Amino acid sequence: MKTLLVAVLALVVLGLIAIAPIVLVPVAKTSAQQLVASDFTQDGGKSEYLVRLADCAPCHTAEGRKPFAGGLAIPSPFGTIWSTNITPDRETGIGSYTLDDFRAVLYDGLRKDGAHLYPAMPYENYRKISENDVRALYHYFMNKVEPVSSPVRQTQLSFPFNQRWGIRAWNWFALNEARFKPRYNDLVLDRGAYIVETLGHCGACHSPRKFFLAQDGTDATAQGFLTGGEIDGWPVPSLRGPASAATKWSAEELRAFLATGRNNHSGVTGEMTPVVQDSLQYLTGKDLDAIVAYLRHISYAAEQPPARIDDRSKRTIALLNSADPSMDLGPRLYLDNCNGCHFTNGKGARGVFPELDGNPIVVARQSGGLIDVILKGARMPSTESRPMRLAMPAFGQRLSDKEIADLATFLRQSWSNNAGPVDKTAVAVRRQKLASH
Amino acid sequence: MPLEQYQPQFFTADEWAFILAATARLIPSKGDGPGAIEARVPVFIDLQLADDFGKGADWYMQGPHDPNAPPQLGYQSPLRPAEAYRAGIAKLNDWCRAKHGGPFVELSPEEQNDILTALEKHEIALASTPAANFFDLLLQSNKEGYFADPMYGGNYKMAAWVHIDFPGARASFREWVGVDKPYPLGPVSITGERA
Repeated sequence: MKTLLVAVLALVVLGLIAIAPIVLVPVAKTSAQQLVASDFTQDGGKSEYLVRLADCAPCHTAEGRKPFAGGLAIPSPFGTIWSTNITPDRETGIGSYTLDDFRAVLYDGLRKDGAHLYPAMPYENYRKISENDVRALYHYFMNKVEPVSSPVRQTQLSFPFNQRWGIRAWNWFALNEARFKPRYNDLVLDRGAYIVETLGHCGACHSPRKFFLAQDGTDATAQGFLTGGEIDGWPVPSLRGPASAATKWSAEELRAFLATGRNNHSGVTGEMTPVVQDSLQYLTGKDLDAIVAYLRHISYAAEQPPARIDDRSKRTIALLNSADPSMDLGPRLYLDNCNGCHFTNGKGARGVFPELDGNPIVVARQSGGLIDVILKGARMPSTESRPMRLAMPAFGQRLSDKEIADLATFLRQSWSNNAGPVDKTAVAVRRQKLASH
Repeated sequence: MPLEQYQPQFFTADEWAFILAATARLIPSKGDGPGAIEARVPVFIDLQLADDFGKGADWYMQGPHDPNAPPQLGYQSPLRPAEAYRAGIAKLNDWCRAKHGGPFVELSPEEQNDILTALEKHEIALASTPAANFFDLLLQSNKEGYFADPMYGGNYKMAAWVHIDFPGARASFREWVGVDKPYPLGPVSITGERA
């Protein structure tokens, strides 16, 4: 018995000794990856543009607080992560950060005090930002942002996720090389790749998460990169697959969607809405073109001819057009609630009402996005060129869980759509979740 | 809930009895389609009078009130709709007691029809309430309660809409433009009720 105790104790001690360096030895910060002239500075306009591209504001600004003063609650599978104050206030913000400290945040997810940030901060992607741009971002936050003295709530996840040293081990596993390498020998494609893979951190949502929730690659050489993910039960569409927007839409349509949140097929909804409103609408035409060219270049399928109306679509349209009182509840609910805008062909109206036929939110494996939109409605972003915040009303009051389940199932299995049914308990779960937000 | 169990929000018991009787004369239960009672028009009127409509909340209610003004100048009584109903019912019952020996509700349907007809033709004068105004108000409320969305208490189970083949609050019939046959689907209400 005693021997056993000693053996266990010895194992624990050995374990602690093994972990000790991870916990105790300071992490080396990644240094600058390119040489930059020592007197390098960015003019104000350029640095603000880069902050837009990196889309810092939506996460680091909470409603009712000053820009970049943090305090936004970001839900994660492990608990709520509170975004930090990144104004140059010395006490509560990043005013005391040197350029090296700042770069370590972007490249290594390291706070000035050496603590690891949770990877809600997309340093997996930001670590490939060029030194010029790191300096420009630093210049902007130090000189162009008003310091705001505003403490934010400390993130307190439950054990074991509150052991931030564990992230160090995760970083060894998850992080790729801290340098962006142009691969295409083409200025436009390489610019597009740089924006999408680094500042734009598109992969943070649009790439699947593999073991331990690391992004499945951080550039287009990885098979899984940008092939779709999931946030909070919502599908995040693939940007490369055969049914993806980059494949199905023309360059012009893809560009319109990015710049205005709408085009002839779709309207943006969910977490992508603030990305359009706060970031993408400010991009130069050249950068938009570069993103579009890159996304089309890395897509896995060649451009497809316009989808023909198949027999299934014809059957759906004929059923809805008949207004036959004996039809099932799903199509009946479509006529009663949806047909006014989305029409019996499920095609909506160009630039105004999104298509439901082939819509990735409708046909995704995860039905949370579709259910949420029916329950609480949706609203497009307002942009300089398309200011109208077109909205879909909420149907949560009007339809029961069973009715929404039947309607969602109809939407997922009509026209050319062919996805699994939705159960009423799934609707009840989403309704509960929305009520508790 | 059956209509008998309905607890009026605005009307007293006597007033409620009058409204049940009067609406039943204006849209009788006999004949084609539902009557005012089946469509629960009295509930609609009661709820409206208990709410902003009864208070004339968004009406211009300051004078002058000129009973001879042309109709396009709008409502000309100093009484708010709830007050007009209250006074109108009381005065008409007084008149019925004086001329027929009992309140409106105790008279025969034929007598009630005659009284309402006379009221419409300005042949009955009700002190302090312009009689024609009261009849107009009552008839208007009946039409509204009969055909309004069921969420306001009347048009119970969309019976009036079913009766006239009105398809309700369904936003689009684009695919039916130019189709030469009757639209087959029953109505839907604003809250999503189907019939």
